[in-house]
Amino acid sequence: MIRLVPNQSDSIQRAPLVDFTFNGRIISGHMGEAVFTALTRAGVLHLRDAPADGAPRGAFCCMGLCQECVVEIAGNSVESCRQPLSEGLAVLSVTRGKHG
Amino acid sequence: MTQAYDIAIIGGGIMGCGTALRVAKGGMRPIVLDQGDLGQGASGVNAGTLSLQIKRVKLMPYALKGHAEWESIGDAVGFRKTGGYTVAFTEREAELLHERQTLKAEAGAPITFVSNNALRAAEPHLSHKVRAASYCPDDGYANSSLTGQYYRAQLRDNGIDYKERAAVTTIAGSAGGFELGTSKGVISATRVLLAAGAWLKPLAALLDVELPVQARINTVSVTERMPPLTSTVIGHATGLLTMKQKANGTVLVGGGWQGRGMPQEGRGEVLSSSVAPNLALAQYALPDLAKARVLRSWTGFEANVPDFYPLAGALSGVEDAYVLGCVRGGYTIGPYIGKLMGDYILGREPELPLFDPGRDFTKDVI
Amino acid sequence: MAEPFDIAVLGAGPAGANAALEASRLGCRVVMIDEQSHAGGQVWRAKSAAVLSAPETPETSAGNQLRKAVSQSAIAHLGDARVWQIEQVPEGWSLQILVGGRSETIIAKALVLATGAREFVQPIPGWTLPGVIGLAGATSLMKQALMPPGHRTVVSGSGPLVFFVASEIRRLGGTVAAVVTPNSRMDWIGALPSMCRRPDLMWRGMVWMADLMLARVPIFWRHAVSDVRGEDAVSSVQISKLGPDWTPLRTVKTVTSDSVCLGNGLIPALEAAQLAGLEITHAPELGGWVPKVAKDGSTNLRGVFMCGDGVGIRGASAAEIHGKLAGLSAAEFTGKQVGLQKNRLYARYAAASSFGLAMTALSVPRPGLEKLATPQTIMCRCESLSRDQLLHEIEAGAASTNAVKSGLRAGMGPCGGKFCQTAIARLVASTKGLEEGAVPPHTARPPLRPVPVSALAGDFAYSDLPIPKPAPL
Ligand SMILES: Cc1cc2nc3c(=O)[nH]c(=O)nc-3n(C[C@H](O)[C@@H](O)[C@H](O)COP(=O)(O)OP(=O)(O)OC[C@H]3O[C@@H](n4cnc5c(N)ncnc54)[C@H](O)[C@@H]3O)c2cc1C
Ligand SMILES: Cc1cc2nc3c(=O)[nH]c(=O)nc-3n(C[C@H](O)[C@H](O)[C@H](O)COP(=O)(O)OP(=O)(O)OC[C@H]3O[C@@H](n4cnc5c(N)ncnc54)[C@H](O)[C@@H]3O)c2cc1C
Ligand code: FES
Repeated sequence: MIRLVPNQSDSIQRAPLVDFTFNGRIISGHMGEAVFTALTRAGVLHLRDAPADGAPRGAFCCMGLCQECVVEIAGNSVESCRQPLSEGLAVLSVTRGKHG
Repeated sequence: MTQAYDIAIIGGGIMGCGTALRVAKGGMRPIVLDQGDLGQGASGVNAGTLSLQIKRVKLMPYALKGHAEWESIGDAVGFRKTGGYTVAFTEREAELLHERQTLKAEAGAPITFVSNNALRAAEPHLSHKVRAASYCPDDGYANSSLTGQYYRAQLRDNGIDYKERAAVTTIAGSAGGFELGTSKGVISATRVLLAAGAWLKPLAALLDVELPVQARINTVSVTERMPPLTSTVIGHATGLLTMKQKANGTVLVGGGWQGRGMPQEGRGEVLSSSVAPNLALAQYALPDLAKARVLRSWTGFEANVPDFYPLAGALSGVEDAYVLGCVRGGYTIGPYIGKLMGDYILGREPELPLFDPGRDFTKDVI
Repeated sequence: MAEPFDIAVLGAGPAGANAALEASRLGCRVVMIDEQSHAGGQVWRAKSAAVLSAPETPETSAGNQLRKAVSQSAIAHLGDARVWQIEQVPEGWSLQILVGGRSETIIAKALVLATGAREFVQPIPGWTLPGVIGLAGATSLMKQALMPPGHRTVVSGSGPLVFFVASEIRRLGGTVAAVVTPNSRMDWIGALPSMCRRPDLMWRGMVWMADLMLARVPIFWRHAVSDVRGEDAVSSVQISKLGPDWTPLRTVKTVTSDSVCLGNGLIPALEAAQLAGLEITHAPELGGWVPKVAKDGSTNLRGVFMCGDGVGIRGASAAEIHGKLAGLSAAEFTGKQVGLQKNRLYARYAAASSFGLAMTALSVPRPGLEKLATPQTIMCRCESLSRDQLLHEIEAGAASTNAVKSGLRAGMGPCGGKFCQTAIARLVASTKGLEEGAVPPHTARPPLRPVPVSALAGDFAYSDLPIPKPAPL
């Protein structure tokens, strides 16, 4: 079939793969990419639960504003759409919500 | 124009709405007017701390009654009686704490001093640098952002008229009382109550009365939801920190750090030079707060007079005009002092004395 | 602290970077701050460090050219730096910046705000499911990561972005399950006269469309995604036919997919402008609320200039020219001679704007689109508040965005209302019978982005805390 917009996915060179974990599960992604893109490629879209109703949420705005992609790394809340991936990064879902 | 109201209440904060409810129960027909939305002034943006430990000694009887009012309102304003600790980190602060809380306890607040061990058992995340602490089981908080929602429903349920986005710009005496020019038409009323918080000075000037009211611009900050860090209201001996973690996990930090701006010119500005030390103090007291992200800092205008006591009573020189405001810790005391004010307007003897707005502010008369 | 800069530019997109370049060329000491690592803004966002090489596109070459110009200039470019507060100070303006986990202060005599835009996404049932991303967000993902949002994607939204995203997905090896747009073919034909000003972009657009047709990707004109279904993530979407004012009429099809891009135009990012103290007005043709800014980027605040999509959605080309204008105006403010340089840019700005505004007109949602939200649809994502809950609060008397926020926490969550306030203001307006222009966004407050307490606290010593004297006893 003729394609006016060619598929260029094979001509993209990426940094080497490194392993990291998401809630303990080992996942690999390209060194330096956003944590969220590595997770997306691995099919992990559900990043956290909404605190008010517990519904599943994942990255939404992809530009660091909506805070839907926030994960916990070393106890800090970080936007996974802005956090570069490094080897061995331990990424957790934020499970803060209702208490008290 | 409709029939004149018995009283026009200018200002839809706690003071105005509280008085409106009381006079309506007593048979009067009030109207509440606000230049913005109900409960978007100090009453809706304050830190919501209901702490007897930060109340002034002479206002303690009012604060105790105010606590009881909030407690009876309960869930509708997110009331929580959690108890509260006031902490001191230095020897000098410990002395200050001791001196001040002793006087407050004598004034009727159930305040005791607690050992470091007791404090650590109750609040394990608090800094170990605490030197001395006092405790009051009656302390707690409510959610001030619900003020508008709560009073709007109360006014409606009690058949009280109110107008929002109706700034009062002129007040003229008339045969039957007052004619108020507002952005939403003229309102006639037999009496007026000025309950305009930090805006009282320009409002009273419409009646040619000069009130010595100044605005403080307090700052409050809130973090994202956090795991449980503290279960009580935490204060600092100097009063420069109040902190509590809400049921939803967010942590609210206040303490009267000053922003910038004038009540007449919008909502006031947050200054990073105030937010930074305020949060540094919070983090010093509660080290795990370091990782919390601050989502919002804001300011609100709180009214004050030179002697820091309320204005509550008849406006001197103008018949049938009253004023209520400038109450330090006014969120705590508000619903109670509103009742006292209402009683006074109804011609009844208030349960506790009011605070003559015409007093000599240079003398210690309260 | 170091000597103040002449000019601080917030934003390194086409507008901000060009403002910085002009001012720097004229000899001003310029600092340019952006939360992205590299210059380029949204339209020319740079690829991430994980992409070592990739084929050029018009976006990457324009971006590379801009980045090269910036790196060859004397501009002090602070990347990965988020401005969280703006204050007027005696020397001019101070910015609080979160950089590397610390908060730092930058002071400049003049301030150029070039904060750009974010997108509006009409809330629909299921739009909170993982796998649903913004349409503009999808461009951001694809520019930085050069990967499609999923294996099989439904691309839905108004204006030109929907075709760009569909085409990029195909270029990057993904599959487009369907393109769904509330615009009709007639809407596009109506925009032709303005489009003729940019034959290059028109040609690209035609290639995208032709490619989709050759690949037999269904294009649903005058339709919208009305429901996204799935348990833990997207599994299918429903597509509905719309009426002339974009009111949903009936569901026509269910399409399976693992990802959905949704977007309904852009809105100016004006919180920074509000913090600085600029007045705002409602201008639907510019994307919603905009600060009051003159065509040369000057404002009625001393030393504050603003340019680009943050003052109205006119597109990247207009943003470049407006940036130059604002840079010249700011340089002039700091005492540089600019002569007639501004005059030469006005006509180009007008021409570029006319194309951009035609695209905005295609993108701005029509009133019926709101009806895609059902009573149970989440409107405020952060606090999971449904349309019903909001409606109840508004009907109980909350007649402003501030009042709704106070009563329900709508807009108090981590996003600060960036993704709900437009829809909520519309709901207040329609419920109360008001014009949208009578329902302004809620009061803007710092921080502009979440800031950790530790960054604010810095390395403090308790004894250094300026503890004023205690309140009276
Ligand atoms: C997500 C997204 C994708 C888009 N994609 C395209 C596209 O592919 N093609 C197209 O023609 N148009 C696109 N647009 C439209 C876009 O607005 C362009 O018209 C153009 O980028 C506008 O240029 P600008 O310089 O005015 O703003 P922008 O390019 O948006 O630049 C603003 C810059 O300011 C920075 N910034 C904002 N606030 C802060 C802060 N507080 N601290 C630090 N930095 C800050 C941002 O990181 C950004 O880089 C997109 C818009 C969005 C929102
Ligand atoms: C940031 C902050 C934190 C605080 N924290 C605490 C705390 O933790 N605990 C505590 O007990 N107290 C606290 N306070 C004090 C307390 O909030 C106030 O004392 C109290 O809310 C005052 O209520 P009010 O009704 O007098 O004033 P407001 O609530 O300010 O009401 C005045 C109203 O008058 C309206 N108005 C003004 N001029 C006009 C006009 N011309 N026409 C029509 N309407 C007009 C205004 O719009 C406003 O709504 C705090 C105050 C602030 C500002
Ligand atoms: S996806 Fe919105 S902040 Fe990361």
